[in-house]
Amino acid sequence: MNRQPRALLSVLLLGSIAFMGWRWWSSQQTGTDQGTEIVFADVSTRGGVLTSSLRSEPRSFNRWVDRNFPTELISQLTQSKLIRINRSTQEIEPALAESWTASADNQTFTLTLRQASWSDGTPFTSADVVFTFAAIYDPKVNSILASSLQVKGQPLTVTAADARTVVIGYPGAFGPGIALLDNLTIAPKHKLAAALAAGTFAQAWGVATPVTELASLGPFVLSRYEPGQRLIFDRNPRYWKKDPSGATLPNLDQVVLEVVPDQNAELVRLQAGQIDMLQQQVRPEDIATLRPLVDRGKLQLLELGVGTDPDLFFFNLRPRHWAKDPRGTWIGRKEFRQAISHAVDREAFANTVFLGAGVPIWGPVTPGNQKWFSPNVPRYGFSLDKARQLLAGLGLANRDADQWLEDEKGTEARFTVLTYRGNSSLERSAAVLREDLRPLGIAVDVVALEQGALVERMLKGDFESIFFFFSSSNLDPAMSPDFWLSSGSAHIWNIGQASPATEWEKQIDDLMQQIMSSTDQAQRKLDFDRVQAIFAENLPAIYFVAPRMYMGVSARVGSMSPTILRPQLLWAADTITVRSTGSTGQGAR
Amino acid sequence: MGRYLLRRLGFALLLVLVVSSASLLLTWLAPGDITSDQALTLGPAALARMRADLGLDRPLAVQYLEWLGGIVRLDFGRSLLYARPVSTLIGERALNTAVLAVAALVLATVIGVPLGVYSGSRSRGAGRAVVRVLSIVALSVPPLIGSLGLVFLAARTGWLPVGGMTSAAGIDRSWAQWLADLATHVPIPVLALAIPLAATLERLQSQAIEKAMREPFVAASLARGVSYAQAVTRHAWPVSLRSVLGLYGVMIGSLFSGSFIVEVVTSWPGLGRLMYDALKARDLYLVAGCAASGAFFLAAGTWLADMLLAIADPRVRSQETQ
Repeated sequence: MNRQPRALLSVLLLGSIAFMGWRWWSSQQTGTDQGTEIVFADVSTRGGVLTSSLRSEPRSFNRWVDRNFPTELISQLTQSKLIRINRSTQEIEPALAESWTASADNQTFTLTLRQASWSDGTPFTSADVVFTFAAIYDPKVNSILASSLQVKGQPLTVTAADARTVVIGYPGAFGPGIALLDNLTIAPKHKLAAALAAGTFAQAWGVATPVTELASLGPFVLSRYEPGQRLIFDRNPRYWKKDPSGATLPNLDQVVLEVVPDQNAELVRLQAGQIDMLQQQVRPEDIATLRPLVDRGKLQLLELGVGTDPDLFFFNLRPRHWAKDPRGTWIGRKEFRQAISHAVDREAFANTVFLGAGVPIWGPVTPGNQKWFSPNVPRYGFSLDKARQLLAGLGLANRDADQWLEDEKGTEARFTVLTYRGNSSLERSAAVLREDLRPLGIAVDVVALEQGALVERMLKGDFESIFFFFSSSNLDPAMSPDFWLSSGSAHIWNIGQASPATEWEKQIDDLMQQIMSSTDQAQRKLDFDRVQAIFAENLPAIYFVAPRMYMGVSARVGSMSPTILRPQLLWAADTITVRSTGSTGQGAR
Repeated sequence: MGRYLLRRLGFALLLVLVVSSASLLLTWLAPGDITSDQALTLGPAALARMRADLGLDRPLAVQYLEWLGGIVRLDFGRSLLYARPVSTLIGERALNTAVLAVAALVLATVIGVPLGVYSGSRSRGAGRAVVRVLSIVALSVPPLIGSLGLVFLAARTGWLPVGGMTSAAGIDRSWAQWLADLATHVPIPVLALAIPLAATLERLQSQAIEKAMREPFVAASLARGVSYAQAVTRHAWPVSLRSVLGLYGVMIGSLFSGSFIVEVVTSWPGLGRLMYDALKARDLYLVAGCAASGAFFLAAGTWLADMLLAIADPRVRSQETQ
């Protein structure tokens, strides 16, 4: 026997031994699992530690200048607002303002503040509110909240009538009314006034700030930050909110956010019971992995509903981009975009990209946004015949022996799609689009770029088309004017127009102005239905499928109010409870 | 020897300067900057203000010269991402990475070198074949898969923590308890790093010792009646170390620079992850600082390997003294 077969035999033998060992060990493990099923404590659900993952670290603790998700989440846990929009019901709720009155023209709001204290014992007063507005509107601060707290491009006026009364004036009528204040997180004047005076507010509360320097009005206080590892929040004993029975909130003693940068490792930790929840929705391909744990009662898979921020595909509609390109004559036409919509089988798209966990959509507002969604919009559903008719109407036909269409000048029907590298749903979506357009004779070249490079090219208008995602933090369209208005910075197919480039964009601009200024909610809904219809007919961005969203949460976590918007579970962390378990060791202290 | 050390020090400084400068320039040239992800939320005016506040609106030459001026004073600038001095951030993370690097290097050496000597000094046998196949398998598994496999194993068994460097309650404990807590977190990332390194060392050592065993002086020693084991360990092995130690320098450099795949998957707060975050966010100065530290460790590793080689191989010593 020569050496090679012997080596092979040795490996096979070792492999067999290892496999048998693994099978034996797995069977032992199953037995162990059955013996250590989670047992809920039969005592009060107050107290305990909730552990969640967090994919990236905060860049700052200063919510007034940083909009990244970790900073926003920290703010949700540690700070409070005057009023808040309940993310589950979309209703306005009192928060630090226990009540308010509105003037007849709905432009002046008088708020009565509740008696509350910062976590360091300093009383919360109207001076904090006035200070917060002053900081946000200070040009030196360059606050990311400044534009979201303006009406008609003007800041609000804020005066303190007394220590517990604040009068807020809007420069004009604003449809969402006081809901605008949901964007405002109150800052502690006693901690940050010196920084504002010195012009260093933007640098204040960086991640190197000792946690003892931070003051909270929210349910928790940041008690420890271990860079690269975790953030630990302890209960704020001075939190103002109580539950319906009058008991103080929050229910939890502690929230731990473990920094887990890798999504696969995050899932493994959830499966192992080392974290209680993720801050990202579960990927469609991971649902099957979690099902056995759900069946064994160790995990909850919460279906949040249809996502409100679907991926979108759009062409560059800036006329100057196509000025010297013959393809501009047909790429700029709505019939071309309608043909693309006809070419895509949305059911198959949902099956391929989201493994069936998605619903067909026809515009940016999905059924997940129940208040504003309009089903009555033009739909260009799957029909290759209709797509071919529309393309023929544009003069696109196969004029040579190859498989691609050409226009009358012989220019091939081909374009490039840029997408975001590393985002699996976007990369799959772009690939599906390429395959769906091939039978029509349209060639698509897909190029995946890093996010920074993609955004740079988007802003410069240096692209032909893009498959992208766009997230909003608010469901009321009046709160997203940058997307809808032709002058907006997020009107991504043709950003920041001096005047509307097309008639339909002008119509949308006019309707959006009414939606933003009207206080008649029924009329606002009718106007927005019209906006959605115009959008769906002209398809400046084509939407195919909105994913159904799922969150994976340990079975020991209760009293949650899941919502579509991020943070889907911790937006109401004060009411969440955990039950001590026999196996995880994460129970009440 | 003094001149030799000075020459190596000069080379190390040059390497650090070139690598960090190139990293800074390449990051600057790549499309987008640290403000890109806010571009759709902030208006153009606010975005321009933010870029001006961060100093990104200045010409590249001005930014580079200012950064270079700082380097002379050992000031690597402030991270745009974390608004903290780059040197502080790197210092914190380098220590964490060093824990992994030292442990992985020791483990890889303790496993890889003896196995290499064993497999290289035998011309046949099942043991040699098994070692060889295991090494090739370990080398073939991509680091991501290997790391995830170990993380999965830890999760499945519950024997070890799945990730992180310490547990949440660890910092409140005594030093001894903290160290014990750290020790339970170390094995997974260390194994993920050490297994492919051990396989590399085994393969290299095996081939080197095979070659050394064919040298005339080894045959002569055997002819003089020296036992086979002694001929291997006393005569062939020191000579074979030349190629192994040559790789050591690179190994030390790459280990101490941090493996971002292992650190990301095992949530280890080290230099690799810091570099990855800095690159993702286009944090010019942090990227340059991380690259500088990587170059420094590479230079230091190569120097250390050369010193070890000089100790192990008399021929190298004689070359240096000539």
